[in-house]
Amino acid sequence: MRHQHVWMVPIMIVLGMVMALTPAAHAEVYKLALSLAITGPTSDAGNPYSKGVEDYIRYVNDTKLLKGDTVSCPIRDDQYQTDITKRNFEDFLADGIVLYLNYSTGSTLALKRDFEEEKIPVIPASFHAGNLEDSNYIFLPIATYSSQCIGLAEYIVANHKGDTPKVAMFIHPSAFGRGPVEDVQKAVAAGLKMDIVEVVEHGKDLDNTAMLQRLVSKQVRYVLSQTVQSPVATLLKDAQRLGLIAKQFGEEGKLTFLGAHYTGGNDLIELAGTAAEGYYWTTSYTLTSEPGEGTTFQLMLAKKYGRDDKTANSHNYTNGMMVAQLAVETIRRVKAKGEKVTRASLYNELNAMNGNNAYSPGNTVGPVTYSPTDHAGVDTLQIYSVKQGAFHSVGKPFIPAFVAKIKK
Amino acid sequence: MAYFLQLVISGIVVGSIYALSGLGFVLIYKSSRVLNIAHGQIIASGAFITYALTVWLEIPLYISFFISMGATFFLAMSVERVFLRRLIGEPIISVIMVTIGLMSILDGIIYLTPFGSVNYSFPEFFPKTPVNIGPATISWTQLVGLIITFVLIGLFSWFFKRSTVGISMRAVSDDQFASMSVGISVPRVFGLAWAMAGMSAAAAGGIIGNITGLNFETLHAFGIIVFPVVILGGLDSIIGAVVAGIIMGLIQQFASGYLDGKWGLNGTADVLPYVILLVILLFKPHGLFGTHEIERV
Repeated sequence: MRHQHVWMVPIMIVLGMVMALTPAAHAEVYKLALSLAITGPTSDAGNPYSKGVEDYIRYVNDTKLLKGDTVSCPIRDDQYQTDITKRNFEDFLADGIVLYLNYSTGSTLALKRDFEEEKIPVIPASFHAGNLEDSNYIFLPIATYSSQCIGLAEYIVANHKGDTPKVAMFIHPSAFGRGPVEDVQKAVAAGLKMDIVEVVEHGKDLDNTAMLQRLVSKQVRYVLSQTVQSPVATLLKDAQRLGLIAKQFGEEGKLTFLGAHYTGGNDLIELAGTAAEGYYWTTSYTLTSEPGEGTTFQLMLAKKYGRDDKTANSHNYTNGMMVAQLAVETIRRVKAKGEKVTRASLYNELNAMNGNNAYSPGNTVGPVTYSPTDHAGVDTLQIYSVKQGAFHSVGKPFIPAFVAKIKK
Repeated sequence: MAYFLQLVISGIVVGSIYALSGLGFVLIYKSSRVLNIAHGQIIASGAFITYALTVWLEIPLYISFFISMGATFFLAMSVERVFLRRLIGEPIISVIMVTIGLMSILDGIIYLTPFGSVNYSFPEFFPKTPVNIGPATISWTQLVGLIITFVLIGLFSWFFKRSTVGISMRAVSDDQFASMSVGISVPRVFGLAWAMAGMSAAAAGGIIGNITGLNFETLHAFGIIVFPVVILGGLDSIIGAVVAGIIMGLIQQFASGYLDGKWGLNGTADVLPYVILLVILLFKPHGLFGTHEIERV
């Protein structure tokens, strides 16, 4: 009897090993990758963005959201330098990635041809409309900078009292800043009733007095910014000192300041202090200053992975998290169809993300929709304004009407 | 007239901050003929130290400001002692390359801290209501910055003209071998020049950080932005830095106020200072107040 038990032991061990290894043998690892500026210029946005991506991918793996399968997403710093981004991208390709997450406008434009040659779907953090020109594989997560600026321009026109509103654009001296100018001008040519009096490319200005007074002398009432937070904060502080910030939207003789995605968020309030009060900002993301299902999940995620409050409440953390959600959801849908997860199947699935297949990640103000002819994800925008040190919604989410008009 | 006056005042404020930022270049070049390319990083470090002391350790701002000047005094002195002292007598290009390397090292160290990728802002210490000077206005932050700038520049000028150490620094600047022969320690003078440059950089960083907010990219860019100022003033002249700083500040404000937006012009405030710099250097290659060295062979 004792001998019978002894010979069963190795059989049990082998059986146990087979059972333990069987699911692993079927488990897939889907390879994504992200290259972005964790250090260097714009790292104030890149850092929370990378944490958003990292945390969501960890969450997917920890909670087995893809059943037994896992997602790997190495994140590399490119210091906002295109040559480093290219090198990172080539390394990632050699590693066999099926979807790539990029960051800057410059590198997305520079690598556009590489993405085409590799036939790899790419989701960048840059919302530059030019990314989509002559490109099949780039998918923007939310509305383009052009759409955002046109949306703000439409808001100006809809809420301005009096004659045709006079607007100045305050832009970053780069492709990122200049991108939307032409599209806003096209919207004006297509019938949006406002005058673009001046387009100002800023430098590292310590004092904007001359520029602000020049704009007021030209009866400009609105300053529409497409840049990053720091120069906007200096501009707002100077306007506050000169008593030029409008107390009500469009107040005569004063300036009402508005800006696109990367000009706003909590960082602007941190940098500009009380001068940020009354600043109008647009993005397609929901904000933690207005709790909802998506923001509750975001705060839970940040807490779960030990992020500080500043990161947890950053719209760039939301941004990174949403991009990771989008990538994982696309993988999940391909899997659900019983197809193999490849660059081609992910590309097709992204293009099919519309109508009933539109995707709502929960932290955007509208659904993500793509089609073979539309690679801008969330078309909907929400306008926010700073009230008592926090951004709050102004009106309902909307899709700028002139975006479609200027495409015709 | 009110507009003109406002531009003049804004130009003087901006120019004096340029002068203070550029002072570090001058102090080092004046004594050692070295251009410190990492000056912007020291400006940023000074601002971050002031912030950390003020906000995280809750030390009053004016005390933090002086402590941070002390900290950068020793930081810059250590940098000189560790990296640059052994390069005395080596070709100038080697020394400049070391300061470029130093810039990368300081960048890397700052990126390891929260300041590398997070924006911060000093608490609002000063009244929000501006100070009126006739029809023109100036913020309290700018006014305090202006006063600190002129006090520090005055102190440095006095130090170089009247104090024994200052005179010995000028002597080293004029002739290192002659200075050594009368018992002046040249390495000690170099160390002190770096330390004082560090101190002035911290002061500049604190003032700029109060105006723009604490963004590393913005702060360290001032190391480069003020370069034309010190070239125009003459690399070894404190008074040159002040005059050139104010000239640059005024040119920027007038260009922005009177040229931008007209005749299709834009961004002249960024370009015109360089154009004027080139024109002046054509006639005065050593800058407005720089030493014209005559080498006899």
